[in-house]
Amino acid sequence: MSTYAPRHHAPSAFSTPASTTLFRRLTWEGTVPLEIRVDSKELPANSDRGLECYYIQAPRVSYLPLVVPEIKRFLMDVVFDEAAARIIKEEDWWFESEEGSLLKWHWPIGLIYDSHTITSSLRPDSSSSQTTPLRLILHLASPPTDKLLLSPSAEACKQAFMGQLKEADFIRWGNTKRMTGLRKAEQDGLWEGIKEHNFEEYWRVAAKITPTTSPTRSTSPPPPPSSASMHTRPPSADPGSTAAPDRDGAYSVRSVPVRIYLPDGPVLQDLVPPTLEDGTVHTLAKFLATHLPLLFPPGKPPLAYALVQGVHVPSDAEMAWLGACMAGADGWVNVCVGIVRDSHPRF
Amino acid sequence: MAYGQTRALPSAWTSLDTAGSMQQAQDALETYKKKDPNKVVVRFKAVGNAPIMKQNFYKITASNRFQAVIQFLRKELGWKAGDPLFTYINLAFSPAPDDTVTNLFKSFATDGHLIVNYSTTAAWG
Repeated sequence: MSTYAPRHHAPSAFSTPASTTLFRRLTWEGTVPLEIRVDSKELPANSDRGLECYYIQAPRVSYLPLVVPEIKRFLMDVVFDEAAARIIKEEDWWFESEEGSLLKWHWPIGLIYDSHTITSSLRPDSSSSQTTPLRLILHLASPPTDKLLLSPSAEACKQAFMGQLKEADFIRWGNTKRMTGLRKAEQDGLWEGIKEHNFEEYWRVAAKITPTTSPTRSTSPPPPPSSASMHTRPPSADPGSTAAPDRDGAYSVRSVPVRIYLPDGPVLQDLVPPTLEDGTVHTLAKFLATHLPLLFPPGKPPLAYALVQGVHVPSDAEMAWLGACMAGADGWVNVCVGIVRDSHPRF
Repeated sequence: MAYGQTRALPSAWTSLDTAGSMQQAQDALETYKKKDPNKVVVRFKAVGNAPIMKQNFYKITASNRFQAVIQFLRKELGWKAGDPLFTYINLAFSPAPDDTVTNLFKSFATDGHLIVNYSTTAAWG
């Protein structure tokens, strides 16, 4: 199915290379529905007003500057007349959500979508927000540059993406040797993979910098993840293991690149070790109880839920596994926290 | 119920309805939204032929975005709009401009300082 090969082969029902590939592919293939409407006050004269709305199913791993060319083509072909098409400058374009929040050029589209979902969880009428497209307003002039922080070009977005990958690399290993060890063509291949939404092209290179999930010890079958993974050390962290330490393994990292996004609120980042000081595996439940104890109070029903890549993740998911299988293309696990209502499934 | 021993819990908990838990969640979010009033030490280090600063240790409010650090640095250097300036953490990567100093400090501080390298040309790009 894919052309990249994991570096460690060990038969395991828990985390085979096949299951790793499956989750990476599911993450990669995720898309979100967007409705893009030009601000009606800014539509040039003689535009076809019946058609100023454009719908797109955008990859979660993509970025707004990468979908702008497609939107522009549509507007030029169908909506604007020739006079308007001549004066439109896409350098002046910018996006806003229906509620009036600025959309950042350097956030993955999946993160923009999930961030909107959790913010909607605060509003009483939010039950339908999951099934409708995210409505975006496209402005054609006067970008608030100081708030957007980045120019809208694909090149600026690529630089920001590379910065995030390097930061993730540093978080994991304490240096960026894996990223700087890539040839220029390989680094460009990562970005091309996103532009083309090509799983193989991206993972051919990404497999060199992303931790592996295969256990190094294959003599005994690992315990079922639901019952025992909360309590036992992973094979790669077992000091009694005779296998060579898996230096690229998910449990060998210093820390997993994770950010918490709160509704309307701050983004929190801290070091997230794959195993805790008492030797137990770091799970999402422990992570949330540590960092957001008011929303995930120990021993009580949670007041909030956590989305990763739009998915309600089981609370016993291991942080190291999330980092290896459900991180975005930029290497980061984005945990978006929404408020529980009756209509939301509980953790 | 997952929180079994109801007798041990205060009555407010046992009669918690949806509106009550929403309010509790909103209060929690307000708490997490509060800005970190503390300051952290940022140490600026020139790279390549970038001018060296006379003073290179500064206390900066932790809730600031990295963008504010960049703007502060540009002002200290007397840089005009459009003059190139590239900033890095630990000689390794450029953070997102909307990341906060708190977040960067927690993950990357060395000996109690957040080291920010600056250069007039792209390095480690």
